[in-house]
This record gives sequence, structure tokens and C-alpha cells, in this order.
Amino acid sequence: MLISARLARGLVWGLALVPLAVFLAGLGAHDFSSLSSILNMLGRLTGVLGLALLLLAAALSARVPGFDQPFGGLTKLWHTHHLLGAGSLLLLLAHPLLLALASAAHGYHLPVQMLFPPLSDTATWSGWLALLLMMIFLAPSFAFFGRPNYERWKRIHALAGPAAILALAHTFLFSRTMPANLDKVVWGLFALLGVGAVAWRLVFSRRAGRLKYTISAVEAVANNVVELTLQPERSEKRLKYQAGNFVYMTPLDKSLGAGCGEEHPYTLSSSPSEPDLRIAIKDLGDASRAIQSIRPGTKVRIEGPYGRFFPVKANPKQPELWVAGGIGITPFLARLRHLKALGQAADVHLVYAVQDEARALYAAELQSLIDTIEGARLTFHYFYREGPISAAYLVETCPDLDQREVYICGPLPLNKLVQDHLRRIGRPLSSIHTEEFELL
Amino acid sequence: MKKFMFAAFIAFWSCIATLLAVHAMSPEPRSAEADDDLPEYTLADIAEHTTLESCWMAIEGKVYDFTDYIPKHPTPPFVMEQWCGREATDGMRTKGYGPDHSPAAWAMMEPYLIGTLAE
Repeated sequence: MLISARLARGLVWGLALVPLAVFLAGLGAHDFSSLSSILNMLGRLTGVLGLALLLLAAALSARVPGFDQPFGGLTKLWHTHHLLGAGSLLLLLAHPLLLALASAAHGYHLPVQMLFPPLSDTATWSGWLALLLMMIFLAPSFAFFGRPNYERWKRIHALAGPAAILALAHTFLFSRTMPANLDKVVWGLFALLGVGAVAWRLVFSRRAGRLKYTISAVEAVANNVVELTLQPERSEKRLKYQAGNFVYMTPLDKSLGAGCGEEHPYTLSSSPSEPDLRIAIKDLGDASRAIQSIRPGTKVRIEGPYGRFFPVKANPKQPELWVAGGIGITPFLARLRHLKALGQAADVHLVYAVQDEARALYAAELQSLIDTIEGARLTFHYFYREGPISAAYLVETCPDLDQREVYICGPLPLNKLVQDHLRRIGRPLSSIHTEEFELL
Repeated sequence: MKKFMFAAFIAFWSCIATLLAVHAMSPEPRSAEADDDLPEYTLADIAEHTTLESCWMAIEGKVYDFTDYIPKHPTPPFVMEQWCGREATDGMRTKGYGPDHSPAAWAMMEPYLIGTLAE
């Protein structure tokens, strides 16, 4: 790995500080001469930093395969994207209020005149429109009015494009954020980053980035889980990936109850050495419910791979503890299938947490894989019998826990619970690796 | 974080509502007709106030005393000082290099109005 996740995140936040630094360099004593000037300066400052964060969040949304690697996978990259978006909204909410308050020093009616000028003031109104769009497209992300379904959220989130363009128009029309013409240079570069990312998403990734596959088999794993087998339409155009990666799959079957033409993220359950892809999908929403009855022969598009759950160059001697919950078994299943295909030994202990025996997915196959792979162990944890996983349970089941790298994949509450236990036992954060499949 | 963001969202609209309420209750700013009652000054009168200690300007037919405002202006004082004692419409419309001041900035001049410019 060329750069660490911390460095990658640091670079993004550092880049956000560039416009701020240029802005600060242009400040003078008069910007601090009175309360009103300080408020006005802070109003402009929040605008500059807020726009920088907004454009960087846009740049990170490109989802270029491979680009997520230094961040530790796409979900980690999105965590940074999410924080940038939240920071941007907070700053840009403060921005007009601070400027309006600052103007009150010159008359009580001025704040409202400043906030709501005549319609001819395109600079102010483009800023307003950008901020209102931000409130609309970020409201579902922060669940202001409940949680919409994934596809609806995505459509609303696309308003980020117009919002960023209006925000740029707003700052260009005022052209007073930075000394001389520096603002045009700085914002021009940031705009290029953001526009480049959106162009990738909407134009390139839809054409060149998506691989053509056909569903060759559909196997019911449980009453609400199917495993699809996907064959590449052209064998030279097949996905190259690592065990534990995930992809975005777009089914192209109009007879599907929902989700035709929509892309959704799913973890690959196959070994990268298999010629075909396998994807296990649990009924968790409209689109994944419709997939339960998808027919062999259906054409799909695959984009990826994403994620970096397991290290790219795994050390086979490194002992590992795997904690899986429910459908979170898929990356571990992929890894076990791959270990078996390679005939490799691995010192892994898999704890599979499920509600009861009937909900243990792939139970028979897991047991047979574990039996085949030298050094591998498997423990089922049944919630109905043993309650939530406790720290004592982890230590008892896996006595050499403190020597193992830990990988967790499952529902968010389980993920958090196990992480809390491990932290309390004294496992360093660097030895805990998680994959979250709840993206919001 | 979600709760915090929602709190910020509500706080924003509460602030806007407060500002609008204060605005609705505060007395109306002086109307255009009221300006007729103001004294008339000639460009010669204005030319007697060219310093930072007393700075008058004529802008679009009206006369302003900006002495108290200059320390509050975002630029260093010498930028406005050049326009003291003069017809300064150009300075307002172009900031000296191109773009007009914002309507908000135009509105901010109101409290400094002292008269109208004699024809």
C-alpha cells in the first residue's frame, strides 16, 4: 500500500484548507476592527470553507475502482465523503446568518434586505438556491424526515450537482472571497475536480466502467437469500477482484418487480480464481426482494471491484478472528472458497452469529470448507440461546484473541458491539477491520 | 451526528424567522418622499469634506456623510478616502475596478444619508 488510510484522509482535509489559507492570507487589520467586521469576516470564511468541503465531497463521490483502496475501501471513503458533506452544510448554514448579523451594525432592517434582496441580485439568489438544494439533497442522508429507500435517496442526492454549480456561480459573481484573481484559480481547480468526478460517474463509468454479465444460475440459500452465478458475456472482459470485494450490480430485466436498471452494492461470495462471479443477496429492500425471483438468462451490468476488507497481500501466517453476522458471512465465504481453491492453510477462527440454526446461511458448506482448510475453525453463536455476543464469550471462544487480527462483517449493532468489546479487552484499533454494508 | 445536523437545520430556520420577525416589527426606513425634506448641498459644499475626519460623498443625486462608516468598510480606509469630497457614484458602481456593490451594500448607505445634491 503506497499511502495509509490516515494519510489519504489527511490529504483530502488538507486540500480543503487550501482555499481557507488563501482567504486568510488576504485578511487585514480592518477585518478584526469591530464585532461587525469580525462577523462579516467569519461569514465569508464559512462560505469559503463550506464550498471547498462541498466540492471535495463531490470529487470523492466518483467511485473510480481502485481509488477507494488507500482509504481502506469504499465504505471508509464514503465515511469521509459523509463528514465533508456534513461539515459543508453546517458551515454554509452559518454563512448567510453571519453575514446578515454583521450587516445589522448599519441598521436593523439591513439583515433581511441583505438576505432577501431584489430578484435582480443573481449572486445572492444563486447562493440561496444552492443552499436550499443542499438542504433537500442532504435531508435524507441525515434522515431529517425519516429514511427514504436507496434509489429515491440516490435520485434526490443527484441534486448535489446543480447545488455545486450554483454555489460556484454565487462565489464567482461576488468574486471577493480572496485577494486579486486567486479565487478564480482556486475555485476553478476545485470545480474541475468536482466536475471531473461527476463526468466520470455519469458518462465514463456508465459505458466503459460496467462489465456485461449474464445470470447463469440462481440458487436459493434460504427462504430470503439467493446466490446468483454470473457468467461474463465476453470471457476476456471479466472482473478482476480480491476475496471480500463488493460490486455494484445493475439487473436489466424489465419484468423484475423493482430495481430494473438500478445499481445496488453486493458482496462477491465467489473465489477470485473461479471463472464466474457469485453473489449472495438477502431480501433487505425492494430491489433485493425482486432479485429473489430473478431468472437465469437475465443480463446484468457489474461495476467494481470496491472495498478493501482483507489486506491485499494477506500474510498466511497471521492468525485471524472473523466475526460474521447473518448475510455478513459473504466476504468470509469468498475468502474460505478462495483458500480452498488455492489449497492454502490459514490460522483463522470464524465466529458466525445468527438468530438460530435455521438462519445459519451456508452452514453445511462452511463446515466442509473449514474441515478442508488446515488451521481453520468455526463456531456458531446462536442469539436465541446465548444472547448478544459478550466480551467473555469472545475470550472464552478464542483464548488467543490478543494475537489475532480481527475482521467483522455484519449488521451495524453487532459490528459496534464486537468492536466495543475488543476495545475494552485492549485490542488496538489498528487490529480491528470492519466492513459495513449499511452505507448511510 | 444525525441529531446534531437536524438541530443545526432547525436552528438555521429559527434564526431566519427571528430576523424576519424583527424586520417586520422595526420602523420602516425613510421613504423616498422623505428625502425631499433633506437639505440640498452643492458639489462645492461636499468638496469641503475630503478627509477621514470628515468624509462626504455624492452618490446618484444624494449626499452621504461616511465619516463613521469608513472604519467599518471591508477595505483599508485609503480606498474610500480617495472618493471623499467628490461625486462617488462611479466608486459605488465599480468598486474602482469593475463589479458593482451588492444591493445589500447599497441598502447599507441609508443611515449615512444627510441630503440631496443640488442640480
